[in-house]
Amino acid sequence: MLEHSLLSSVLTDGSSSGQMFDRWDLSTRIQDPVQDLLRLQPGRPVELIGPLGFGLSRLGYRLLAEPSQQAPVVVLDVRGWVSPQAVWEAGVEQDRLVIVSCPDERVWPKVVAALCEGVKAIYAEVPTGVKDQDLRRLAALVRARQVGLGLRPLGGPLPSGIAHLRLRPIEVRWSGNDRGHGRLSKRTLVLEAEGRGVSGITRRIEVEDDGTDTVRVVSGLVTGSPRHAVG
Amino acid sequence: MVVGEAGRVVAASAQARLTGVDLGMPRRQAEMTAPGAKVLSRDVAEEWQRFEAVVAAIEEIVPKVEVVEPGLAFVPLAGAIRYYGGEETLIEILSSKLELHGPRLGVADGPFAASWAARESSAGSPNIVYDTKQFLADLDVAALTGESPDAEHLVATFRWLGVTTLGALAQLPREALASRFGASGLVMHRLAHGEDRMLDPRDIPVELAVEAVYEDPLENLDQAGFAARATAARLMNGLHGRGLAPHRVVIEMESARGEIRNRVWRSLDPFTENALADRIWWQLRAWLEAGQIQGGITRLKLDPSDTSGSGRQLAFFEDVGARLEAERALARAQALLEPNSVRQAVPKGGRMPDEQVVWYRWGEPPPPRDLEAPWPGRTPRPTPSLIPPRPHPLEIEWDEGHPVRIRLGSRWEPVINWSGPWRLVRKWWAGEQPVDRYQLVTSAGAFLCLVDGDGARLVGVYD
Repeated sequence: MLEHSLLSSVLTDGSSSGQMFDRWDLSTRIQDPVQDLLRLQPGRPVELIGPLGFGLSRLGYRLLAEPSQQAPVVVLDVRGWVSPQAVWEAGVEQDRLVIVSCPDERVWPKVVAALCEGVKAIYAEVPTGVKDQDLRRLAALVRARQVGLGLRPLGGPLPSGIAHLRLRPIEVRWSGNDRGHGRLSKRTLVLEAEGRGVSGITRRIEVEDDGTDTVRVVSGLVTGSPRHAVG
Repeated sequence: MVVGEAGRVVAASAQARLTGVDLGMPRRQAEMTAPGAKVLSRDVAEEWQRFEAVVAAIEEIVPKVEVVEPGLAFVPLAGAIRYYGGEETLIEILSSKLELHGPRLGVADGPFAASWAARESSAGSPNIVYDTKQFLADLDVAALTGESPDAEHLVATFRWLGVTTLGALAQLPREALASRFGASGLVMHRLAHGEDRMLDPRDIPVELAVEAVYEDPLENLDQAGFAARATAARLMNGLHGRGLAPHRVVIEMESARGEIRNRVWRSLDPFTENALADRIWWQLRAWLEAGQIQGGITRLKLDPSDTSGSGRQLAFFEDVGARLEAERALARAQALLEPNSVRQAVPKGGRMPDEQVVWYRWGEPPPPRDLEAPWPGRTPRPTPSLIPPRPHPLEIEWDEGHPVRIRLGSRWEPVINWSGPWRLVRKWWAGEQPVDRYQLVTSAGAFLCLVDGDGARLVGVYD
């Protein structure tokens, strides 16, 4: 479960990026816009783009944790690889998780549209071959119906104008194992966030994931200069 | 024998029962117990269609039959006894009317006692209970199973406390039961006392009923199915807005030729939208297929009664409206895909991640499973986010027993770190070889692999 009091983050500008803050202390005092990056917002699709193995699926599952407190949530599984156990571990309520399998790219837009008519939060893998026109229609529907939607394209990135926020992994580090000893225990994921969700300014955030249902944003640093929004 | 969706026996012939097959027995155990028995899958719609003939026969004698499920119906006798001149006469008439169907009839004060009286009767010899309290006193407390959501747990506790019959339970002070077991304890005590709900529902406000009129008569089953779902949704929306849920619904239908048919459905738990839609659908299907609707359906009315606020205890943050909308959206998605494409899962025991869940179709009850077993040696958490349906062959390069590189597509990735091997000894008695599990970390992510004499296989991606 996402506990705001446990979330900690530091949002600084470039000039103060070297400062060290007591993050626990800050979390109680600063209204933190960075933590909203990992929260599904109604009508504002989030695109998770990157290769397999960087932790984007878990991040996508994590987006559903908070909405699942109130109503059923859906994971749209294209490859047939989604593990419900992993979704529950990300904090999603067990009895409110529904997994819809849809490998066919022709039916996929219809299924997502049908789900958007009633489900409040969806994490959907996007198969290759879905037409840009269909994706744009879906984005409009998502905005109209105020659905929280996380999209994980399995091919290339989505066309512009679809996602409100695009999260792209830069680096992943695992700890807990050492040449045969121990076990995987904690993942640190460095993400680049871009799009309207970050006001067109590319931001780099670091996310700690210790395999429990809490994902911590441990830093959020402004990087680079403002770019065009993704959508 | 007939096996339900949960994989358990729901009906068995007398011959099968003689060999030791019992209701509720898992299918595999039943097949072992009676290897020659033919196994059939349960078809509730078909059962209802056959039961419709029984209900129609009863209705010729006593109106307002309440159907609980195919095979169980309650009949209010108060008015009919006066009309026919006594219980014995009425039961005799009913018995002869239903002779072909071999019914088991029980008469008692209230549905709970009557259903147990029927269970203890046999075909051709109805069981008329004159002293309901005395009849109930001899029943085992297990009779209360199913009467409340936590009844099974309560029955086990009663037994542990030495209260084994309903008579013993009825002698306990009601306040003490209510204080120790809450509302469920109170319900149990009332039932043990014979204070059951009566088949005489209280008056209900007219505006709760919903009605749909069709200019083009509904003549086929698909149309009836959509009508059932839409009307059930309208009724339940209206009731939820008032914080109510129905235990009893009258389904009334008018045909193009002006014939009006109605049927009362009852449920111990308040009806959900899906459950109600199913029952309307079964009812309409039975009427249509039996040719009892000439020219199609022109009007469908649902009249709820025995409404109560119970059964609607929400989770702390639950949003009922959102849940109902989601259910409708999922039903549409299910119609676009196939039913098995919309699924839920429940956890179960197992050592490998793919063994630790049981899938079931959305909208159906979850299958029973055993979570008590300890499963030593299970793969440590976190669970891989992605699990391929079948293990994928994987090429790994080794150096002195340590993984060095793995092939991902066309490129080789150096192994940065790893955990394992963890030996997994599987069904050796079935010829399965032991395998070693590894967690491999590369710059492209972390993977869970199985390695044995035949090579390596990918079984999970920590994505």
